[in-house]
Amino acid sequence: MKSLRVQWIIAIFGLGLAGVIAELSWTKVRVSIPEMGKKQIEPSLGQGVLLGILGGFRTVVADGAWIRSYVLWERRDRAGCEALMRTSCLLDPRARFFWENTGFVVGYDMAHWEIRKRGGYAKVSAEIQDDLFKKYAQQGIRVMEEGVKYTGGNVGILISAGQLSELKLKDFSLAASYYKRASESKNAPWFVHFMCARALWESGQMKPAYDWYRDVWQKKLSKEDDHAPDDLEHLRFMEEQLHLAILQRIPRQPWEKNN
Amino acid sequence: MRISWMTRLTFLEAIRQRFFAFLILLSAALVLSSVSFRFLDFGHGELKFVCDFGFGGMFLFGSVLAVVMSAQLFFAEMDNRTALTLLAKPVSRTEFLVGKFIGVWLVLGVFIFTLSTLLGIILWARCQELTAAALEVGKAPPELSITGLFSYTGMQWARLGVVAAMILMVASLARTFLFTVIVGSMLVVAGQLQWLAQETLLKPGDLNLFSKLLLTVSTYIIPNLQQFNIGDALTLDHGSVAEGAVTLSLFSGACYIVVFIFIGSLIFRQREI
Repeated sequence: MKSLRVQWIIAIFGLGLAGVIAELSWTKVRVSIPEMGKKQIEPSLGQGVLLGILGGFRTVVADGAWIRSYVLWERRDRAGCEALMRTSCLLDPRARFFWENTGFVVGYDMAHWEIRKRGGYAKVSAEIQDDLFKKYAQQGIRVMEEGVKYTGGNVGILISAGQLSELKLKDFSLAASYYKRASESKNAPWFVHFMCARALWESGQMKPAYDWYRDVWQKKLSKEDDHAPDDLEHLRFMEEQLHLAILQRIPRQPWEKNN
Repeated sequence: MRISWMTRLTFLEAIRQRFFAFLILLSAALVLSSVSFRFLDFGHGELKFVCDFGFGGMFLFGSVLAVVMSAQLFFAEMDNRTALTLLAKPVSRTEFLVGKFIGVWLVLGVFIFTLSTLLGIILWARCQELTAAALEVGKAPPELSITGLFSYTGMQWARLGVVAAMILMVASLARTFLFTVIVGSMLVVAGQLQWLAQETLLKPGDLNLFSKLLLTVSTYIIPNLQQFNIGDALTLDHGSVAEGAVTLSLFSGACYIVVFIFIGSLIFRQREI
């Protein structure tokens, strides 16, 4: 009887020890499962994502949630649509598609839905409309920022965030900061350098825009096979606008067209 | 010796079951069909989608198999009274339980490694096609680690081992097959969601003392089955897995298996058959 009691004590101690080891293991494993976050999961519970949270079929459940969100998008159900779209983002946080499109829907569409809900464009004053566009654009940008974090700085999401800042917030400095981050990434598309310079230019920082663009062209773009002639053309336009002296300009390239 | 004899008996009995054949065929069909379902996919990488289908099959059908088969093989001996004959021989109850467990675990191993091999072949073939296509347009080829896939398979096998040990522990206490399956399934779900309790304890906020105590106890009693679930990271993004994470989670699984079998044998030794 005494031996049995000792064995039970050993069993309970063993269970506790196993629990401690499991806790240590979880702290190591945790970083590899970005889709697992209590805070992020809470708003999504009740959206039929239990299977996805439990284990397998995460991408399939994420796709299902995305399709369901389209139905709510058509009904212009703001809360439901956003919850389902965020569920898809949560279940597959490494996918650009979900973050980018959720950001688009929140940033571009939802303000229109709210204006219509409040009586339409004729009834809602221009200031309120502007506030709404800005409010939702900021929310959309927040979604994209989260996406950038989870995808390890996806260039596509950065460019989309920049466009949203530019078109809806009219914040060219913010847009330029996103384009700059995209431009610094390894697989930056060819057009993003110009987008960044243009946004800086539009924000009123004309000289810094030129200096930055010139630096990128000289260090990176001019070394490409075609020497990026379009970018040089944009730089020449900036030099003209800034009334730079000949010696301050980029030296004339042998392959450059005569104007 | 007696354990290996019990193991052999259990393994042969289990592998001949239609239920096992049905589940392995169903899971294999799921893995094979994943490539044809990829048109339903939105933003994920194609390999991720295929992987997820395979991992989903392993998780879902593996769990069903572990729960039902462990309980069924245990209660078959009880209901047919063969356990009485066996235990009348110089076979201890602990040996009986350990033999049952190893037999079931080996069958689960056959299940999981068969599926994993199939998934590995599909992923490898598709990866070759995608790599060729990516190189043609100058894009970066997709990443795939077959070693990572097999590490994940090992982790899943450990997870199923924990589940089987847990079910045998419940079975040694329970009187009916149905009760064991229901309680066992609930424990599997609780185990998959246990990490939520762990996360809550990290930031307790406004929890009262009773809730804290309940959560603390539950995190020690219920095994965290989510710790074996890093298939995506191991197979498609091998660099993102922390060093020693796989070894530690396998060790944690082994600890739970030993403890559950030990508790099961303690209960079973006191049980009247």
